[in-house]
Amino acid sequence: MHAAAKTPHRRRPLIPARWAPYVFISPFFLLFAAFGLFPLLFSVALAFHQWDPVGGVWSMRWVGLDNFAYAIARDDWLRKAMFNTVWIALVSGLPQHLVALPLAWFLHRAFGRWRNAVVGAYFLPFITSTVAISLVFSSLFSKDFGLVNAAFSTLRQVPVLGWLMPGQAIDWSQPGYTKWMISAVVFWRYVGWNTVLYLSAIQTISPELLEAAEIDGASPRQRFLHIVLPLLRPMVFLAVTLSLIGNLQLFEEPFILTGGTGGIDQAGKTAAMHMYAVAFMDGDFGTASAVAWLLFLLIVGATAINKRLLGARA
Amino acid sequence: MNTTSPLPVASPPGAAPRGAAPARPRARRREGRGALVAGRVIVLAGAVVMLLPFWFMFVFATHSNSEILSMPPPLWFGSSLGDNLRELLARLPTFWQNLGWSFYVALATTLANLVFCSLAGHAFALLEFAGKERFYAAVMMTMLLPAFLFMVPTALTMSWLGWTNEERALIVPAACSALGIFLMRQYIEAAIPRDLVEAARLDGCSEFAIWWRVVLPLLGPALGTLALITFIGSWNNFISPLVVMRDMDRYTLPLALRSLQGSGQTPWGALCAGAAIAVLPLLVMFALASRRLIDGLTAGAVKH
Amino acid sequence: MRRRALLPLPLACLAARPALAATGRATLTVAAFPDLDRSARIAIESWAASHPQVDVRLTTRAFDDHHTAMTTAIATGANLPDVMAVDMDYLGKFTQAGGLEDLDAPPYDARAVAPRLARFTLGPATGLGGKLRVLPADIGPGALFYRADLLARAGLVEDDLTRDWASYVAAGVKLKQATGAYLCASAIDLKDILIRAGLADGEGVYFDAAGRPQVTSQRFVQAFTLARAARRAGIDARIAAWSSEWSEGFRRDRVATQMMGSWLAGHLKNWIAPAQSGLWRSAPLPAGVSASWGGSFWAIPVRAERKLLAWDFIRTLCLDRAQQLEAFRRLDAFPALLAAQQDDYVAQPIAYLGGQAARLQWRAASERVPALHVDRYDQVAKAIVEAELDQVLEHDKPIPQALADARAAIERRARRHRAPRAPLLEDRPCTPPPRPRIAAAR
Repeated sequence: MHAAAKTPHRRRPLIPARWAPYVFISPFFLLFAAFGLFPLLFSVALAFHQWDPVGGVWSMRWVGLDNFAYAIARDDWLRKAMFNTVWIALVSGLPQHLVALPLAWFLHRAFGRWRNAVVGAYFLPFITSTVAISLVFSSLFSKDFGLVNAAFSTLRQVPVLGWLMPGQAIDWSQPGYTKWMISAVVFWRYVGWNTVLYLSAIQTISPELLEAAEIDGASPRQRFLHIVLPLLRPMVFLAVTLSLIGNLQLFEEPFILTGGTGGIDQAGKTAAMHMYAVAFMDGDFGTASAVAWLLFLLIVGATAINKRLLGARA
Repeated sequence: MNTTSPLPVASPPGAAPRGAAPARPRARRREGRGALVAGRVIVLAGAVVMLLPFWFMFVFATHSNSEILSMPPPLWFGSSLGDNLRELLARLPTFWQNLGWSFYVALATTLANLVFCSLAGHAFALLEFAGKERFYAAVMMTMLLPAFLFMVPTALTMSWLGWTNEERALIVPAACSALGIFLMRQYIEAAIPRDLVEAARLDGCSEFAIWWRVVLPLLGPALGTLALITFIGSWNNFISPLVVMRDMDRYTLPLALRSLQGSGQTPWGALCAGAAIAVLPLLVMFALASRRLIDGLTAGAVKH
Repeated sequence: MRRRALLPLPLACLAARPALAATGRATLTVAAFPDLDRSARIAIESWAASHPQVDVRLTTRAFDDHHTAMTTAIATGANLPDVMAVDMDYLGKFTQAGGLEDLDAPPYDARAVAPRLARFTLGPATGLGGKLRVLPADIGPGALFYRADLLARAGLVEDDLTRDWASYVAAGVKLKQATGAYLCASAIDLKDILIRAGLADGEGVYFDAAGRPQVTSQRFVQAFTLARAARRAGIDARIAAWSSEWSEGFRRDRVATQMMGSWLAGHLKNWIAPAQSGLWRSAPLPAGVSASWGGSFWAIPVRAERKLLAWDFIRTLCLDRAQQLEAFRRLDAFPALLAAQQDDYVAQPIAYLGGQAARLQWRAASERVPALHVDRYDQVAKAIVEAELDQVLEHDKPIPQALADARAAIERRARRHRAPRAPLLEDRPCTPPPRPRIAAAR
């Protein structure tokens, strides 16, 4: 399809060119002013107040930096939660992309007609409801009857792989294993999403380019490493940024897998879960807002680093 | 502003000359068939693992509570589907209305996002104006705060506007998401050739016409991605409806399904049946969007 | 679309609307969670018949969602129901703040009807300012459910379990040796029971009346010691309650007893172990402890619109004998209303429990439960104490240190607990002007 129309009539544009940018972004900013700015300012203000919502809006009390001081210096559960969050973000995040990239490439070149069905299978976890997930995974990860442990025990029979398998049934609720369980579920949930993103990016690489490389004798691996990856860099940046933001705000999966408690030793409690607990259990919305802004700084820092590493070079 | 390492682009500059037919077919290095088959097996095995919990959800929808909460859980379909559906509809008489509302809200939100986010992305990517980067930073900031912090202010705002219990309270605030703008800006910066836009401007096209005629047609994959994210996000969202909706016949589906869980005996079979029905539109959405996303837009290759 | 401005509280107090609109139908909004919504539905059937001009709308939300939504509604004044359900787990948070109507004040005068309700419920029902803030609908008197057949196989009798805690643990060891079954699902259950032992009226489980944490008291030391002893003796199955393994544990004869509210009998019969009918029995809690699990309450938000209608509906829910019995029969909700507890239904044998007239036992148990004080930080304290118990059970942390750490953590988290603050508008009772009663007193 021709991208450019034939020469249009010369008539006065509907929106003068000078104003065009502002008109284009005005829907967002109107909506933001109405529905985004107020919550933003509210939560900034809240971070400096003490507020138990059950007392009504007027029961807020100014406490200055006390909430931040408490969160940084005296809240041991927050420190643990931050550690857990970063741990899970890395352990589930890295495989999400390291697996999704070659997977997308392989799906692109080796599956032909079945490609969409297979991608669909990988994408399903992304749209499965959390209710079903909680029910199913709690039974899959059961110590004595779960399929995961059953799979491990059958794999133990396999010669080489068997040496890597744990010696006995794993109690996944033990603090040493909780984070692994959560990371596995997060990986399961999002690897398909990343695969779809990368696959769509690969689609738009010129097929002639890849064919020419193939004809020149490049192996699939070489084509992947030297053509596909560099061209995919902007999409990788995008996908990793989204992953970072999502993983550092992780709430649903650890919440449902630990029954809302964060598990033994708070091993599965993420920062967002802790925030939620502080707000609704401790009845302390002020500290929860302060923690949210601290987490915000963390995410900004992480995305800045990401931009350095993967971002577009000017 | 990058022009050298584009996002999905039709033909990267400096690539092998197009249109030049290969001189003669050289011997290709044949990939071992074994490796290909092994790879396919691994990927398919992975796909089965991915499907497993999803599979269980459908299987559980056909079993009774005792059977579901037993070890090991049932692996194949049972016979209680009718009972579960009956119980679902008995406990949630507004189920079909909830389904309808979810559809309406998700569709409206998606359409609004497609339009507004591409407009905003166009502005950030292709236009220069005062305070651009500061605006963009403010936009990005909203993405980084957790949703539940918005609960109380949202409830307040909606009560001030009188939109409590109305669907527009769900659609309007989400009509132009920061994530969508981020996606659009990235994609437009990478995939829309600047010279095309310049050419159109020189031809006297208004900015709006450029958006409509030049940019939008090339945005296929990005629009597909955004549609998918927005639809799924809106479909699964329950926090906003929780604080805004008062009557059960105005609930969206996730909230309605959650309302089956309480201090008594949760009807897991009915819940899974409801969840299975709730996921079908998402499957359809994915099937539709994947054609744009994955089958790609090779037709969108811009041939000068 | 009418624009509604957010009314400041004092204005709202002054502008209390009449319970019945001058023209047309009135709407009463009731917010609850499962399964309490089912008893509300039963009440609506009878109440609506006698109030044809009122449209009752029942909103059900998931258990946690409901309390979150109610918190937000009270915080903002938006989307408030007229009648609000509150579960025991969340009770402290709601009653100790200023968002719920003072039911002692006229025109409610709940103190007059309080003697008709189970005595111990009035402790938790009392909130800010020492006033009744909620009314109880159902209770969960604690019982020890056990598998008579497994015990018999091990040569044990009920008394071995209930005499005292030492014999309880010894019985567990014997049971394990003889049948391979665990005595209890989790040692944490034992802690929950023992921290409630020996409390008097007005005391709190985690905090005393003045708000000081009690976790270093003898009660907690004994609770932790018993839990550890049970774990070391190997008599607990280390299964979390309500998980699939838990229900499966009962089915597969791996767990022989469970201490919980009386409503567990209904769950066992309906879905956990329907095949084991006749094998289970109910016994009083060991060592004469009296405790109650859960309980549902109804309240009226201060800024609700139709408070008098709401009160009338709540009277039906909590004080109407027929309603309480119907909920008892259909939903296994043990009534808080004493008159309902006297019905013949209570003396009927329960087939699932081998013909035992267990409800009599539960009624007797409910009479011995002390009227405890609930604190707004009870859930926080509970989470901290359980975290410390995990340390004791899993990592052998010394008990005195664990409890001292728990106390320090509680004081840190509930750090603004007793900070003096200026009296808020909410603290002043918001009394609507006197209105004629809508329905005759029952």
